[in-house]
Amino acid sequence: MRASLAWLREMVPGSESDVDTAHRLTMLGLEVEGIEKVEGDTVFEINVTPNRPDCLSIIGIARELSAALGTPLNFPEHEVNGNTGELDFNIDILNPALCRRYAGRIVKGLKIGPSPDWLKLRLEKSGIRSINNVVDVTNYVLIELGHPLHAFDLGTIKGHRIQVGTSGDVKGKAERLRFRTLDGLERELLSDALLIWDAERPIAIAGIMGGGETEVSDSTTDIFIESAWFDPVSVRRTAKATGLKTEASFRFERGTDIKMLKKALDRAAFLMHEIAGGKVYGKIDIYPGQLPPAKIIISAEKINSVLGLDLPETQIIRYLNDLGFVVEEGKGCLNITPPAYRVDVQGGADIIEEIARTYGYERIPAVLPMASVGIETQDNSQKAFSESLLKELKESFLKSGFTEVINYSFMGDQDLDLLGIDRSDLRHLLKVPIKNPLRLEDTYMRTMLVPALIRNIVYNVSHDNRAFKLFEISRVFSGSKDEKLPEHKYHFAAALYKEKTRSLYKDDTNDFFVVKGIIEALLEALKIRDYSFGRSVEPFLHPGQSADLFISGSKTGFVGALSPVIVERLDIKAHGPSIVLAEFDIDFLRPYAMQVIKYRPLPKYPGSERDTALVVDESIASSKIVALLKEFDSDLIEDITLFDVYKGKNIPDGKKSIAFSIRYRAADRTLTDDDVETLHNRIVGFICEKTNGQVRS
Amino acid sequence: MIDDLKEKFLNELESVISPADLFQLRVNYLGKKGHLTSALKALSSATPDERPLLGKKINDVKQFVEAHIASKEAAFKNEELKKQLLAGAIDITLPGKYAAFGKEHPINQVLFEITDIFVKMGFSVEEGPEVETDYYNFEALNFPKDHPARDMQDTFFVSDDIVLRTHTSPVQVRGMEKRKPPVRFIAPGKVYRCDADITHTPMFHQVEGLMVDKDITFSNLKGILEAFLHQMFGPDTRVRFRPSFFPFTEPSAEVDIGCILCGGSGCRVCKNSGWLEILGAGMVNPAVFKNVGYDTEIYTGFAFGMGIERIAMLKYAIDDIRLFYENDIRFLRQF
Repeated sequence: MRASLAWLREMVPGSESDVDTAHRLTMLGLEVEGIEKVEGDTVFEINVTPNRPDCLSIIGIARELSAALGTPLNFPEHEVNGNTGELDFNIDILNPALCRRYAGRIVKGLKIGPSPDWLKLRLEKSGIRSINNVVDVTNYVLIELGHPLHAFDLGTIKGHRIQVGTSGDVKGKAERLRFRTLDGLERELLSDALLIWDAERPIAIAGIMGGGETEVSDSTTDIFIESAWFDPVSVRRTAKATGLKTEASFRFERGTDIKMLKKALDRAAFLMHEIAGGKVYGKIDIYPGQLPPAKIIISAEKINSVLGLDLPETQIIRYLNDLGFVVEEGKGCLNITPPAYRVDVQGGADIIEEIARTYGYERIPAVLPMASVGIETQDNSQKAFSESLLKELKESFLKSGFTEVINYSFMGDQDLDLLGIDRSDLRHLLKVPIKNPLRLEDTYMRTMLVPALIRNIVYNVSHDNRAFKLFEISRVFSGSKDEKLPEHKYHFAAALYKEKTRSLYKDDTNDFFVVKGIIEALLEALKIRDYSFGRSVEPFLHPGQSADLFISGSKTGFVGALSPVIVERLDIKAHGPSIVLAEFDIDFLRPYAMQVIKYRPLPKYPGSERDTALVVDESIASSKIVALLKEFDSDLIEDITLFDVYKGKNIPDGKKSIAFSIRYRAADRTLTDDDVETLHNRIVGFICEKTNGQVRS
Repeated sequence: MIDDLKEKFLNELESVISPADLFQLRVNYLGKKGHLTSALKALSSATPDERPLLGKKINDVKQFVEAHIASKEAAFKNEELKKQLLAGAIDITLPGKYAAFGKEHPINQVLFEITDIFVKMGFSVEEGPEVETDYYNFEALNFPKDHPARDMQDTFFVSDDIVLRTHTSPVQVRGMEKRKPPVRFIAPGKVYRCDADITHTPMFHQVEGLMVDKDITFSNLKGILEAFLHQMFGPDTRVRFRPSFFPFTEPSAEVDIGCILCGGSGCRVCKNSGWLEILGAGMVNPAVFKNVGYDTEIYTGFAFGMGIERIAMLKYAIDDIRLFYENDIRFLRQF
C-alpha cells in the first residue's frame, strides 16, 4: 500500500518528520518498507499484513496514527444533497449470504472528461493510472476510504434493475458462463461465481471487475455507482479461478467495512458532483445481512498474564477506546465490541495483541521463563541415537576429505534416464510428482541423491575444479499406496572426482577402494556386523568396478565407478577422469547399528600367525576365501587379513595369487607350534579343496 | 716403567683416528701380549714387598686405559650414528601428504550453531515430513482454505491436499499432538516455496521453535529470543520486536536486530533502515491449541521461526542466495 503523507496529514494533522512517522507506523505493525519523495510530498510504501485490510486505505492508516498520537481524525467531506427526484430503479439481492449489503446511487447529466491535476497526482502517487474523471473518483475513494466502488453506464443497464446472485440464483440452474470483462477479455466463470446482473444478463463479476458492455465511456452521461459488501471467500475463489487480481478483489477477499460502504458511496457521489457535475439522486441501500456486532469477553488479568505485564484496567480500556473499540465493564471482565472495520479482531488473543501494540512491544520486558526440567522420552532417546549415527557418518566423510553439498530435493525424468534406470525401477515408479514445478527438470521429488551429485561434478569441472570429493545427507521420497504421505528416508551419497594429476607422493589405490574403505570403516564404527558386498546390478556403474551393499542380506546401497558410457554422455572436458559414486539408505542401517557395547576380556595367552599364498582361478573373489575361513569355524582363529592379491609374472594365465595371514589364539592356553601348524595345514587344505587352488611355492 | 706407560698410552690414544686404530691400541695394551698383560705377568718376578704396590699401580693404569678406550669407542659410535642420521635427512620443507578435511555445508554449520544454542537452553529437536498435508501445513495453523494469508507463501502442490511444506511450522502441530505440555522443542529442516531469484530459492531451511507451559508470557518470548540473538550475534546486538501477522500466533511479532554490517547507520543490506529482519514469532494462537486439544485456559506458549539462509548470508556477507545450491567446491571450502 502506497500512502501519501500529505493525504494522511489532511486527516491527522501533525508536524512529525516523515522518518519519525515511518518509524511510528512500523512499530504499530504497519511496516514502512520504503520512503519516496514525490513533488514536495513523501510516499510511504507500507507492507500491510493480510489481517489488516482496514489499513489498505489512507483513512485506515490515519486511524492508527490518530490513536497513537491522540489527535482526532478529520473524516473527509461526504455529505451530498441527493434527494432529488423519484427513482425508477430496483436492486434485488438474491444471495444475501454472499452479498450482505448493496447500495447505489444514480448520478445523471455528468460530463466525462479528464480529471483535475490534483486528483491525477494523488492517484499517481498511489500507483494508479488516471482514466477519466468518473473512474478516477471511484479509484480515489478506494484508496482514501478503502472501499471498492464500481460505476456502470446507467444507459446500458437493462430493465432499470440490478440483481445480485450466482447463475443458479438468477436462472434457477447453476451453469458456467462466458463473460467479457472491461479489459476486453472473454472469461470463463465458475457456476458458483457471484455476479451482478441487470434484468437480462450479467454485467459485472461481483467485487472483481465490471463488464465491457456497461463500462463508462466518453459518451456516458448517466451512471450508477455501486458500493457493496461481498463475501471474502466467494470473491477469492472467483478471482483465483479467473486469474483476475484487482485492487477491488484484493480488498474484498480480505474483508471490507460493511458500515463504511455507505460513506464511501456518498463521498464518491460528492466528488463526482464536484468534478463532473450532474445531478445526484437518492441512495438505494439494501442491507439484508445485518449481523449483531461481535462481542469479545476477556479480563484485564488474562491480558496481563499473557503479556507478562501489570497494566491497570483503566489503561487497557483507554487503549481500546482510542482504537475505536467499545468497552463495557462486566463482572471481572471486559465486554468489547470492535469497530466494523476491524474484521481481524475476533477473539481474546486479538485484543491482547491490540494492547501489546499500543503499549509498545519495545516496552514489554524480556524475561527468561521459569521452566520445568525436561525428561527425554523413549522416543527422543531413540532419535538422539539416530543423530549420533548421522554425526558419525558425517564426521567420517568430512575427515576423509569429502565436502558436504546440499541440493534441491527435486529431480526430473532426465536425471534417471541419463543413468539408464529402467522405467519399471521403483525409483521411477514411486516418484512423487509436483503439480506446479518451476522447471520441467524439477517435476518430481528425488528418489535418489546421486543424480544431483553428478550435476555437481559437471558444474565443478566446468568451473575448472579438477579434484574433489562430495557428499550429501538428505531425504528421498517415494510414493506410497497405503499412506497419504510419501515415505521419507534419509539417504547418504558420496562422489569422488579425480583426474590424472602429477603428485609428489605416489598412491595408486583404485578410488573404488578409497570410497568402499570409508564405508567399511563406518560400518565397523557403527558396529554393524552383518554386511556384505556383491557385484552391483546398477546400470550406471562400471560392471567390473562396482558393488552393491547388503545389510543382513538386503540391498541397501551401492558403491562403484560411474560407467564410462555415462561419463561420455556428461559434458566433462577431461580425459578418463576417475568418478566413484556411492549411495545408501541411512534409515535402513539404523536398526543394525549396535547400541549396547559389551566389553570383551583381553587375551591372556600369546597368539601365533601363519601366512599362506594360494594360486586360484581369477574368478574366485577374495571374499570367498574369507567366507571359507569363517565357514571352517575354529575357535582358535582370531583374525584373518588379506595382504596381497597378485596377477602376472610366475602366475599362470587365468589364475591369481591371494595371500592371507591368520592369527591363532586360544583363550585358555599357549598354543604350541605343533597345534598351530596342524590346524593351519588343515585349513589351507580345506580352502584348496573348495577353491581348486594350490599353495603358491 | 709402569708410570711411563700411562704417558705413552695417552700419546698413542691421541693419534687414534679410526675404530681400527682404536682396536689396534686395545690389542697393544690389553691383548694377550699387550703391555699391561705383560706387566701383570712380570709381577711374579717382583719382590714380595714391592708386589702389592706395583700390582695396584698396574691395575690403576689398566682401569685408566679401559675407561679411555671405552669412551673413545662411544665417541666413534656416536659419530657413526650422526653420519647415518644425516644421510637419512629429507627435505622437510616439502609439503606433507596433505589429507585435506572436507567442509560441512555452510547452511548446516549455521543450522548446527542455532540448534546448539537452543539445545543448551533445554529445547529438544523434533522432525517432521517435508511432503506435508494441507491440514498440518495450513489448516491446523489457522490458515483456512480460501484465505488470503495463504498468499503469503507460494506453495508447491503434490495434489489438492498434499503440499511441500512451506514452513517448519507444521512440526509445531505434530509435536504437540505427540505430547502433553510442558513442551519445549525446535524443528530444523527444509522448506519449499515456488519462487526463485537472487534472494529466493525454491528450497531453503528454517528453524522453528515452540515452548508451551503454564504461565508462558510474551515477555518470556522476548527473553528467550534475546538470549538466543545475543549468543548468535554477540552480546551487544540490539534487538527490536514489532507487531506483525502470522495466522498461528497472536500477538505476532517480527524480530529485527541492529544491522550487523553497518552497525545501524544504514546500508544497502538493511535498506538504510539500520535493522535486519531475522525472526518471526508470537504467542501461540488459541485456535492452534484447540486443534491439538490443549486447554487454552491453562496453557500459553510461544512459537518462533527463522530462515537459515538469511542468517548465513548475513554472517558470511554473502549477497546471492543461489551460491548455497550451486555447490561450487571453491565456495564450500571457504567455510
